[in-house]
Amino acid sequence: MSSQWLKFAWLNTLRNRRRSAVTVGIASLGTAAILLAGGFALFTYQGLAQISARTTGHLIVGKPAQFQRDEDTPLQNGLDDVAALRARLLADPDVRQVLPRVEFSGLISNGDKSTVMLAAGIDPDAEFAVKGPFLKVTEGEVLQSSERGKVMLGAGLARSLKATPGTSLTLLASTTEGALNALDVTVQGVFSTGIPDVDKRLVYLDLATAQKLIVTQRVSTLGVFLRSMEATHPARERIAAALPQLAVQTWLDQAAFYTSVKELYNRIFGALGLIIGVIVVFVVTNAMAMAIIERTREIGTLRAMGTLPGQLTRSFALEGMVLGGAGSLLGAGVALVVSVALLMFPVEMPPPPGRSNGYPLQIVMDPTLYIATLLAMVALSMLASAWVARRTVTKPIVDALAHV
Amino acid sequence: MNPIVTPLKLPETTPVLDLRGLHKTYRLGKHVVPALQGVDLTLQAGEMLALTGPSGSGKSTLLNLAGLIDKPDDGEVILRGRTVTSIGETEATLLRRDAIGFVFQSFNLVPVMTVADNVDYPLFLSGVPAAERRERVAQILAAVGLAEHAKHRPDALSGGQRQRVAIARALVKRPSLVIADEPTASLDSHTADQVLDLMREVGHAQGAAFLVATHDARLLRRCDRVVALLDGRILDVHTEASHELAMA
Repeated sequence: MSSQWLKFAWLNTLRNRRRSAVTVGIASLGTAAILLAGGFALFTYQGLAQISARTTGHLIVGKPAQFQRDEDTPLQNGLDDVAALRARLLADPDVRQVLPRVEFSGLISNGDKSTVMLAAGIDPDAEFAVKGPFLKVTEGEVLQSSERGKVMLGAGLARSLKATPGTSLTLLASTTEGALNALDVTVQGVFSTGIPDVDKRLVYLDLATAQKLIVTQRVSTLGVFLRSMEATHPARERIAAALPQLAVQTWLDQAAFYTSVKELYNRIFGALGLIIGVIVVFVVTNAMAMAIIERTREIGTLRAMGTLPGQLTRSFALEGMVLGGAGSLLGAGVALVVSVALLMFPVEMPPPPGRSNGYPLQIVMDPTLYIATLLAMVALSMLASAWVARRTVTKPIVDALAHV
Repeated sequence: MNPIVTPLKLPETTPVLDLRGLHKTYRLGKHVVPALQGVDLTLQAGEMLALTGPSGSGKSTLLNLAGLIDKPDDGEVILRGRTVTSIGETEATLLRRDAIGFVFQSFNLVPVMTVADNVDYPLFLSGVPAAERRERVAQILAAVGLAEHAKHRPDALSGGQRQRVAIARALVKRPSLVIADEPTASLDSHTADQVLDLMREVGHAQGAAFLVATHDARLLRRCDRVVALLDGRILDVHTEASHELAMA
């Protein structure tokens, strides 16, 4: 395609500047809307992925039965000889840390009131070192690996038990033998996960205290933390091959919330993108249809002079490309400015349903998203223009020349 | 005005255009309107032939058939010795691009293109190299006296200047045949004379044949032959010598 055709297309878009400006404006708004919505969705996905991986570990190693069915007694499917297993996993070059985890349920009581708890026994120093400040501590301190008999309570649970740091509580749980065991603990701190339903039940305690309560040396799973998210699948392949008797899941296998949010957002933003795309196509189609009707006689003249219908169709497609390209470039610029502005002047989003904490509104500036959106906009504009032009450029020349 | 160089010459015995027994009818609702009813016409290289007659006599239809932008119901169109009546649309387009120039009553210039770009367009379509195109455009614009207006847009020109651009655009590719539909109808008397002089001068220099539909008596006087049409039939043919008398 000669630059002459491109020049012709450019000049034609300047014939009716107001109409072209409106078309470019709407295309730019549509592009900006798609890029901002898509960037927000990507930010959400990345945030949720990071949270999911930080909660469970990039990889979760356990016995196959641990992931397949509920246990009859606590730690029935737990891992033995954890120290050796941990050492083997830490030998992998991509592995940054391996965190043991004991998960069980039971009752927690302040003497006057008992309620159900979901407990997680962790290695506090390693857990906080790897995950960073993953809990919002509202009262007291975080756990220390060197201290025994201390617990951290979710904010809702602490409120229910009227517990504050220093309060003595009793934990009751079934042992691995099925007997009931009790252990007195002291509240070290109160935290919020941002999910009120979780905060009403969750208790953190150190691994040794948890194992003492349910009388075991086993752990439920080992959370494997890698140096990067990208290392997840290669590391999974290596570890699964090295430990064939165990099951290795990725964070994604356990990220039900991430998966459901992604599915929901994909549909919402997909539908939004489709609607915006249709609007842009209609606007370009309308602008081009008017331009083509106005130029019917000129089309007849150009055909009489020896221009092939295909050349004219391509010329109109180039006009669509100019309009769609200018609109999408402008829209990309608007999206970039808004994204950067949100980094400089943060806007706090309200808490999502089921959460108690808001989060900063940020838009990911993803090159792939930008390129794909720009290409899609240009392609749609070109196709719409060519589609609108096809009838007029094949109209009998005599009729086109007689058009008033 | 500078003469155009490199005129295109056909063998003297081969007519540029040979129309044989052309018939054409149009349907207007339930009515069938005969536009041409057996027209025979021959046009030699360098000849300027005028078609005249009242509205509805078939002038425009004959121009359309000769210019390969319409097809006859019956009869033959022979261009440069080749029967082109039944060629396909693409082939007809390429033939028009190569061999036929058009001059329209209302100029039909592309308003967003400069004068030079309008004139350049047929050469660009034909794939003439850019350097040669620039030379030929400059040459023909000088020939029609518009060299200094090359960068202007058509809307900055007078009617006469626009028609000169249209003539330059029709002739720049050195066509065998130029189809002109009322080329002087939108022009004042003085400008019409200039345009006619130009068509004759440049056309003759290139050896192009002109088929001109007109009511303009000044134009009729300057043509080599005048063919009068009525109801789709040739009513009368005047040669250059005889039509002076007929016009009197």
